[in-house]
Amino acid sequence: MADLKRLQVAVEVGDRETAVSVTEEALHEGIPPLVILDSMTDAMGVVGDRFARQEIYVPEMLISARAMKAALALLEPLLIGSGHRPDKIAVMGTIKGDLHDIGKNLVAMMLKGANFEIVDLGTNTPADEFMAAAREHRADLIGISALLTTTMGNMRSVVEAVRAATDLPHLRVIVGGAPVTRDFAVRIEADGWAPDAASAVDVAKAVVETARGRTAHSGFIDPDVVAALRAAAVAAV
Amino acid sequence: MTVNETTGASSASRPRAEVTRPLRGEWMTPRRRFLAALFRGHVDKVPACTLSSVATVELMDMVDAPFPEAHLDAEMMARLAATSHEVLGMDTIMPVWHSQLESDALGGDTDWAEKDNWPSPSKFLISEPEQVKVPDDFRDRPTMRTVTGAMRLLRRRYPDVAIVGKVYGPWSVAYQMVGIESFLMDTILDPDRVRRYLDAFLPACIDSARAQFEAGADAVMWADHTTGDLCSAETYRDFLLEMHQRISVEIGGPGIFHCCGKTIDRVHLFANAGWDCFHFESQVDAREARAAAGERMSLFGNLNNPTLLYEGTSEQVYQACWDLMDAGVDGLAPEGSVPLVTKIGPLAAIARAAADWSTQHRGEGQSVRRDPAMQEEDERWQT
Repeated sequence: MADLKRLQVAVEVGDRETAVSVTEEALHEGIPPLVILDSMTDAMGVVGDRFARQEIYVPEMLISARAMKAALALLEPLLIGSGHRPDKIAVMGTIKGDLHDIGKNLVAMMLKGANFEIVDLGTNTPADEFMAAAREHRADLIGISALLTTTMGNMRSVVEAVRAATDLPHLRVIVGGAPVTRDFAVRIEADGWAPDAASAVDVAKAVVETARGRTAHSGFIDPDVVAALRAAAVAAV
Repeated sequence: MTVNETTGASSASRPRAEVTRPLRGEWMTPRRRFLAALFRGHVDKVPACTLSSVATVELMDMVDAPFPEAHLDAEMMARLAATSHEVLGMDTIMPVWHSQLESDALGGDTDWAEKDNWPSPSKFLISEPEQVKVPDDFRDRPTMRTVTGAMRLLRRRYPDVAIVGKVYGPWSVAYQMVGIESFLMDTILDPDRVRRYLDAFLPACIDSARAQFEAGADAVMWADHTTGDLCSAETYRDFLLEMHQRISVEIGGPGIFHCCGKTIDRVHLFANAGWDCFHFESQVDAREARAAAGERMSLFGNLNNPTLLYEGTSEQVYQACWDLMDAGVDGLAPEGSVPLVTKIGPLAAIARAAADWSTQHRGEGQSVRRDPAMQEEDERWQT
């Protein structure tokens, strides 16, 4: 019988072959794709937490993401075929002038696992491309990444374009990347910021849920705000 | 008369030369000052430096040397680079504003971009170490020829100003030619292949450094981006430390190591590698870096680009410079390539702060005093 715990461990340690073979076994045995996906998403959550604690670095994250991507490729046709559609859409890209896409790719991968549809614009993306894609796909969220201190200033132009877009009142922007601090994100008036890929998923979900009026929060969202929202939700229960 | 309690020697018993005309104010040339600071020696003033790209659109317009033309025209490159000294009052001139110097000369495909952007690789051409070939005419390839040509011009025009070269080491050249993701994954999946990449790229990097020294550079900044934002300190130790120990001997002149981002957990390793200086980012606390580097390695840099130089005021930059000099930084410099739309005012505040702080801290010994023991010794000889 397919062991989803084994799948989770395979993703955590970046063992692509095992991740694929266990996924194949699980599908063959009729385990629902969404259950298998949950297992992989949990694994990437563990990887993200270890990264946030600096127990692992980008290379380990990358091989985990590679393992998940390979296994996810088996699930995607089945998820689509069964009518399952992500309920949130994110346009992702590295900001204009910046060709580094590691961070963006990691966040995109983890958002995919968290039931986001991802429109990946790649690197060196100007504000008008972000906006065109957001309009075309009726996106909930724009996620912008930068690795260079020299390019992160360009993020401001995307935020300004979103604020000026009266036809997209629910569109929100989150920013991140190695040099992008919380203070910088607040200053350019982004809607959210996260220091790493794992917490970016939580922030992205909270930002979209807030835009949809499903939380009592308004204003900037970072991992501390996410934690407070969770605590409030638990208290309400 | 004072007596050294350890040796018993008195200052009065020592021969001393008669000082007839004491030095006053700033008495070093920028070149001498920069090199003295690089080796943590006496300086009349803390040097204000450009070690990374400090070209801006405003400066390009001022001397009619815009990107991308200035990357491949030695005269334009020299003219634009010289603005760091002529306009910003810096002690150094650094004419390499992009990361493609070695990779393009190795056959890489470069997108030279426009005036408001830096060049970058168009695609990653190398997928196996065995594909790397250093061409016989490496030094004559356009990027190399332009940089060494500009340095020769600058050396003739500015004999008293420090000229700094820039080299991307084998780790960073691999980012440009192999791609960051696949290269970093190989550090886990195939470490032997990573070592073969490094060995394959290294001769070109060393030759680039030597060519720049021959063209007139006083020092080169060597960048291998083993930043804490990407990989662990152990990765640097296991893949690069021993290689850097050899490089710091083989390049033929003073070496400044550059690595972006969070690096405090590996600063001591950079010092162990034998680098003369570490050019570091604002994500590293200057005092902690000073403690980690000790006396073995000078520290330059640390002025934040996006929030200070780009978005901050001249006064904020001025204050930040004072804080850094108080923290024991040996030379002031932007932490990395400054955004191309940065204004001249905040950049010019760096040299002004260096001059004012140094004037306040320059004692009768005519040097900027940092070390209390050194200060005590100086004062004894003045009496």
